[in-house]
Amino acid sequence: MSLLKVKDLSLKIGDSKILSDIDLEVDKGEILGVIGESGSGKSMTALSIMQLLPEGARTAGSVQLDGAELLEKSEADMCALRGNDMGMIFQEPMSALNPVKTIGEQVAETALVHGGVSRAEAGEIARQTLDRVELPASQFPLTRYPHELSGGQRQRVVIAMAIALRPRLLIADEPTTALDVTTQAQILTLLRRLVEEDGMGLMLITHDLAVVADMADHIAIMQKGVVVEAGETLSVFRHMRHPYSKALFEASSHQPKRAPGREVKKDNVLKVSGVVRDYPGQRISLFKKPKPFRAVDGVSFAISKRENVGLVGESGCGKSTLTRAILGLEAVQGGKIELFDRPVMPGMASALRAGVQVVFQDPYGSFNPRWKVERLVAEPFHLLATPPADRRARVAEALKDVGMEPADMDKYIHEFSGGQRQRIAIARALVLRPDLIVLDEAVSALDVSIRAQILDLLAELSDRLGLSYLFISHDLSVVRAITDRVLVMKQGKIVEEGKSEEVFNNPQHPYTKELIGATPIIETALRMREERQIT
Amino acid sequence: MAIFIGKRLISLVLSLIAASLVVFFVIEVIPGDPASFMLGLNASPETVEALRQQMGLNLPLWERYFNWAGGLLRWEFGTSYTYKVPVSDLVSDRIWISLPLALYALALSTLIAFPVGILAASKRNSPADVGIMGATQLGIAVPNFWFAMLLVLAFAISLRWFSAGGFPGWEEGFFAGMKALTLPAIALALPQASILARVMRSSLLDTLSEDYIRTARAKGLSRKQTLWRHALRNALIPVLTIIGLQFSFLLAGAIIIENVFFLPGLGRLVFQGITQRDLIVVKSVVMLLVFAVIVVTFVVDIAYGIADPRLRGQRR
Repeated sequence: MSLLKVKDLSLKIGDSKILSDIDLEVDKGEILGVIGESGSGKSMTALSIMQLLPEGARTAGSVQLDGAELLEKSEADMCALRGNDMGMIFQEPMSALNPVKTIGEQVAETALVHGGVSRAEAGEIARQTLDRVELPASQFPLTRYPHELSGGQRQRVVIAMAIALRPRLLIADEPTTALDVTTQAQILTLLRRLVEEDGMGLMLITHDLAVVADMADHIAIMQKGVVVEAGETLSVFRHMRHPYSKALFEASSHQPKRAPGREVKKDNVLKVSGVVRDYPGQRISLFKKPKPFRAVDGVSFAISKRENVGLVGESGCGKSTLTRAILGLEAVQGGKIELFDRPVMPGMASALRAGVQVVFQDPYGSFNPRWKVERLVAEPFHLLATPPADRRARVAEALKDVGMEPADMDKYIHEFSGGQRQRIAIARALVLRPDLIVLDEAVSALDVSIRAQILDLLAELSDRLGLSYLFISHDLSVVRAITDRVLVMKQGKIVEEGKSEEVFNNPQHPYTKELIGATPIIETALRMREERQIT
Repeated sequence: MAIFIGKRLISLVLSLIAASLVVFFVIEVIPGDPASFMLGLNASPETVEALRQQMGLNLPLWERYFNWAGGLLRWEFGTSYTYKVPVSDLVSDRIWISLPLALYALALSTLIAFPVGILAASKRNSPADVGIMGATQLGIAVPNFWFAMLLVLAFAISLRWFSAGGFPGWEEGFFAGMKALTLPAIALALPQASILARVMRSSLLDTLSEDYIRTARAKGLSRKQTLWRHALRNALIPVLTIIGLQFSFLLAGAIIIENVFFLPGLGRLVFQGITQRDLIVVKSVVMLLVFAVIVVTFVVDIAYGIADPRLRGQRR
């Protein structure tokens, strides 16, 4: 009998149907990967199993844990089960821990709340569990607070809280989405080890096909509250039947088509030479000058016309600081940045600023929600000495460029989906016809299918309008798909630079090798599976 | 934590110095000649000159400031022009009414607001919550002097449980004093408690929708346990801010209630000082109130540090 058996599960919140007829099974010691894009209902499925749904939610069907029906259990019985027999970890390690309690208290609480142990014993369990998730006592005493830990370390604490009592089932909802690739690889290895050691069932929810191809024994693909395809991982990947699965598979390894005979001219649009950015350090003594923190350390590179350059690196490597300097938002402490051989700095001429535009990660947060699209897209016009008379026509043209309707300019931003918002953000960057667009994690928050469309759009725009891109991302597969050249950044320095294909196929610097090694790739994972089956 | 407290102490001293400069300039320098201001239009030049001598107004500005500030440190505020007694005596009598009254009202307000706010948040949208929200709305809207008169009507005139006003003095015993302060404290506490309860409720509701509450629920804590063990301490930060502001208000702003109950408090002293143009009294009492507010802010800052480890700074 399987450990977790979900049968005909459906969920309604108010009058809207969220899930219908979900069938899932997880065995002991097995990993089930649940894949889907935002709104597919994968998180709601997890919360239905845990019975942690928002108010007004009604479930029907059956959820059995070792034969016991969970949907019929009282809230008190569910409290006894949660944390004891079934644990759950969440996407956001930064906010998943209580900021005012120590990590020791929070892990020990799992043991305390289920009774039967003294405070000292609970502390002992907390210590052992933190050791199990590789947070040793020497560096991570129980008295640490969450804000003293990095994102990956916090996620380990969250895992420790979930597995402290060795539950039979662990549900992990996008556990690595907010983490860097190398941290992601470590967390996934940890989860796999815990599954093997405890014989626990793991339900791994993710939007990343490569992660499940690597991790899961079985997978289930969800779309709009329905499981569209499920089965053993290798056979599902090799013989996809449902059109949505196929589309998802195609989109996640999507390579935009480039114009034939596209060539990069050797004239520099942007030239960055020996740039240094310091932040004031923390003052330790009243009398000594604090030692500055060097976020960008002697970075040099150039971008030519039509060239798409990628900048990859993990969080904290200085790529965002460098971006702000390139946009002329912050002064540099050394070296210089030139756009068309004119210096970039805060207070530079508006006309020069008009030559470089930016698209950020969060398509909603970067718009004023009270403005209509016309005004949002037209905003860069204030950089011009005389605003154009044909403002609406120019906005309409920019919207058409990004595949939107001119009529959309009289709507507000909340009326659009995430992908459409990002198109509008690109239209805003395009409206002045700049030469360089900085794309700062511009596709990172998007679902894979939307991401593929936006990548196609970006490739087409660059080819047609002769745009140069500085494409900043932590996602190596995306950078590989769209850039001609790539820069790898670590601790404020560029450690490797070269043609994208060459760098990705034959990395030279150990850090680049580590990054590429940590990035899960569907095909590699599937091939390893096949080899294991043969032997 | 020691560094955190040290930093707060430095900022306390700096704020005091800045505040004393502002008070000094606003009262002594901006009106032109304080002596002729105090004596009015019909004073003879001789009287004005005599008062100038008495107040030391002929000294250079910086010397006047240091004399005054030095006096403050020694609890010497000069002699009141209208009462002809040392201001320190006037203040000493009144501060032992205003300070206990403010603390009493604050304690009442907190004791009412915490349970009420927590109840409303834990039973969101229930009849209890709706009732509490309505009642607190009323509590904010009702003017406190009118409510004070109702209290006098009910408890002093009809039921005769309390006296309608006045203060017997602490010589009569602690309970006699507290009894005399009870009705004023209730009148002061009611609107404050209403505000505080609403802040408590909304702050708790915000906290209850945080990710770490969901994490705690996944560990097996019940709704009630997450509220007490995880939400409450996090929700306290905005509540502490309001408590700090309320205490400052209660100390200095109780003037209307002091008038209703004939209590000789600090509020009334400032009011009388202003109407009688007794700048010596006004200057010193205002500075004293500023001092109280700054100390309260300091205490609230320390309380933040206790409630939230992130504010204590990084340990290395």
